[in-house]
Amino acid sequence: MAGESVGSHRRGYYLYLIPGFVGLVVIVIGPQIANFVLSFTAWKGVGTPRWVGGQNYQRLLTDDQFWGSMHNTLLYMISMTAIPVLIGIVLASLLFDYVRDQFGEKVSSFFRAAFYLPQILPLTVAGVLWGWILNPVGVANAILKTVGLGWLAQNWIGDATYALSAVSLVIVWVQVGYCLVVFMAGMSRIDPALYEAAQLDGAGWWQRLVSITIPMLAPEIFVVVLTTLIAALKVFAPVFVLTQGGPDDATLAPSYLTYYHFFTTQRVGYAAAVSTVQMILTLGLAVIFLMFQQRQAAKGA
Amino acid sequence: MKIALSKVALVAAASLMLGTTAYAQDKTFNIWWYEGADSAQGITWTKALEELKANHPDVTVNFEQKTFDQLQQSGSMILNSAEAPDVLEYNKGNATAGLVSSQGLLTNLDDAYTAQGWDKILNEGQLVLSRYDDLGVYGSGHIWGISTYGEYVSAFYNIDAFEKAGVKVPTTLEELTAAFETFKAQGVTPLALGGASTSGQHLLASLAYTKADDTWVQNYQGLKAPLDGAPYLFAAQTLTDWLAKGYITKDSTGMNDDDASLQFTSGQSPMYVSGTWNLGNFSANIKDFKWGQFVIPTPKFSVGSTGNLWVIPKGSKNPELAKEFISLLLSTKYQTEQANNGGVSFAADPAGVTNPVGANASAVFAQIAAKQGLGFYPDWPVPGYYDVLNQKDTGLLQGTLTPEQFVDEIKQVYDDAQASQ
Repeated sequence: MAGESVGSHRRGYYLYLIPGFVGLVVIVIGPQIANFVLSFTAWKGVGTPRWVGGQNYQRLLTDDQFWGSMHNTLLYMISMTAIPVLIGIVLASLLFDYVRDQFGEKVSSFFRAAFYLPQILPLTVAGVLWGWILNPVGVANAILKTVGLGWLAQNWIGDATYALSAVSLVIVWVQVGYCLVVFMAGMSRIDPALYEAAQLDGAGWWQRLVSITIPMLAPEIFVVVLTTLIAALKVFAPVFVLTQGGPDDATLAPSYLTYYHFFTTQRVGYAAAVSTVQMILTLGLAVIFLMFQQRQAAKGA
Repeated sequence: MKIALSKVALVAAASLMLGTTAYAQDKTFNIWWYEGADSAQGITWTKALEELKANHPDVTVNFEQKTFDQLQQSGSMILNSAEAPDVLEYNKGNATAGLVSSQGLLTNLDDAYTAQGWDKILNEGQLVLSRYDDLGVYGSGHIWGISTYGEYVSAFYNIDAFEKAGVKVPTTLEELTAAFETFKAQGVTPLALGGASTSGQHLLASLAYTKADDTWVQNYQGLKAPLDGAPYLFAAQTLTDWLAKGYITKDSTGMNDDDASLQFTSGQSPMYVSGTWNLGNFSANIKDFKWGQFVIPTPKFSVGSTGNLWVIPKGSKNPELAKEFISLLLSTKYQTEQANNGGVSFAADPAGVTNPVGANASAVFAQIAAKQGLGFYPDWPVPGYYDVLNQKDTGLLQGTLTPEQFVDEIKQVYDDAQASQ
């Protein structure tokens, strides 16, 4: 009975989807198609693109810069996903399970807000600050020298040995807050009775974390890992602000390579090819993850 | 279809980058430049714009401060859109002004050059970068832009520190090395360097020019032949040698030009190799010591050129006002004003220039220009070469590239561009 009336009115609702759909086409789908088409052309950014077939992709296969940037992406995945997720879980559990009990809600909220602050700060601003901290005559080295650890002082962002780690450190600093906040929200969903029962049985903080928190947080962990992996594939701002991909391409990321070819070498077609590969990887990753999640959800049900 | 779509994407991208820009209306004059407000050009141009306003009280003048990077990276898209202003400062060179002129986005200034009397102020040598041919290569063809100032790279030095250390201003490369050695022996790192920035590649090019003749510079800048790496090999070897001897520090790979120039202005390093665009900053901020500049000793060529160009976009609604503004900037009054603000002028009245910095810089530029020794900038021949030189320069400075590898890597990119033009 109800089904019939919904069915007959359903067509009218589609009208309301039009504005959103137009936005999607103009801002997301259109440029993606344009980008895909451009990746088969040679184009300087003005004038008429010239069709070159698969030449850009062929060039991609032998481009050391591109492969170097893909290699760096793997490392950015560690600093954007693996480390922040691990630190995020431990910190969230500490704040939720220990700090809140011992020091109260306010202290716990304060730390949560403080860890989240880097997410709110514009990365361009944070990047400039980190640049001042990490440059050879910067704050980090000045402090090390003052406390007598001058031998530890390094040319953090200017030496290929440390540059990638230095950029990664800044990324971890930014990402931890995001993981922490999502995990803490997830923890408030877990039935406190589970913890109480475990506590009565004599389980310590670490045991509770491993046996209750992590399994129960699986959906949140899943979302955070997916979103941060996608972000790692697209990382740009920290690299742009801190090192411009240097020294000698040691911190280069695919997005920066795209930007470089689009805006400075005027190989727009080639830049489009790099970003098409990037897009396919991102989409592939997302699809695999979503399929995996669906299977997990089905199992759970 | 694909062109239409890409245009949509472009306009979207360009308008995102520009933010909101008011559409030109009647009696509105839109003008952009990116020289800093406290630079000699910025101060002078602001005053000239005031005079233009006073001469045309019925016109609303809209000035927007841009940055070099904005126009370096998206200039062609802006000029290709309805957002372009009536007149603007535009980056000189094949990859920028040359590209947009060859795409028909600029107004031809051949007639204005004589009609406005600019031919009586400028000479053909100062027009080399104003002319671009049909392919957008500088040096011949129509006049597409006008420069009203010059610039060159030299060594800035701390006169007080030189006197204290008993060092004379070097006139040969050997004397320069000896000066470095004297400072080094006294525990001072003699040369501040922004290895990841412009000053790194300008130092390399200055050293390369010590081994360069006319043919090499013309071939190099004109992208006429595969790169003859010998001058760069000498430059790279010299740089690694200086690094090994401690004349420059390995830390320079983590420093940009701002960090490096701070080493000079704060008195920590007695020398810094960079361009005349620092003159305004140094005049304003160095209070504790006397400073001067000397040209890096080369047989003929220095890194330098006439300045960026004033161009009038094809869609300019006020081309006459634009020309009037350029004429103002070339007038003796504002050329003198510019030199007095520490800038490099073409046609200042020597009697009217009271600022020794501007007078000296204008005189040095005139000398270099007179022997036709403007070697231009090392990143010009190949689009994107600026980043390549920065990346490879840091590789050299941090020791991951040998001088031979350095030359191989920059040669590969150069020859690639040379072959595919």
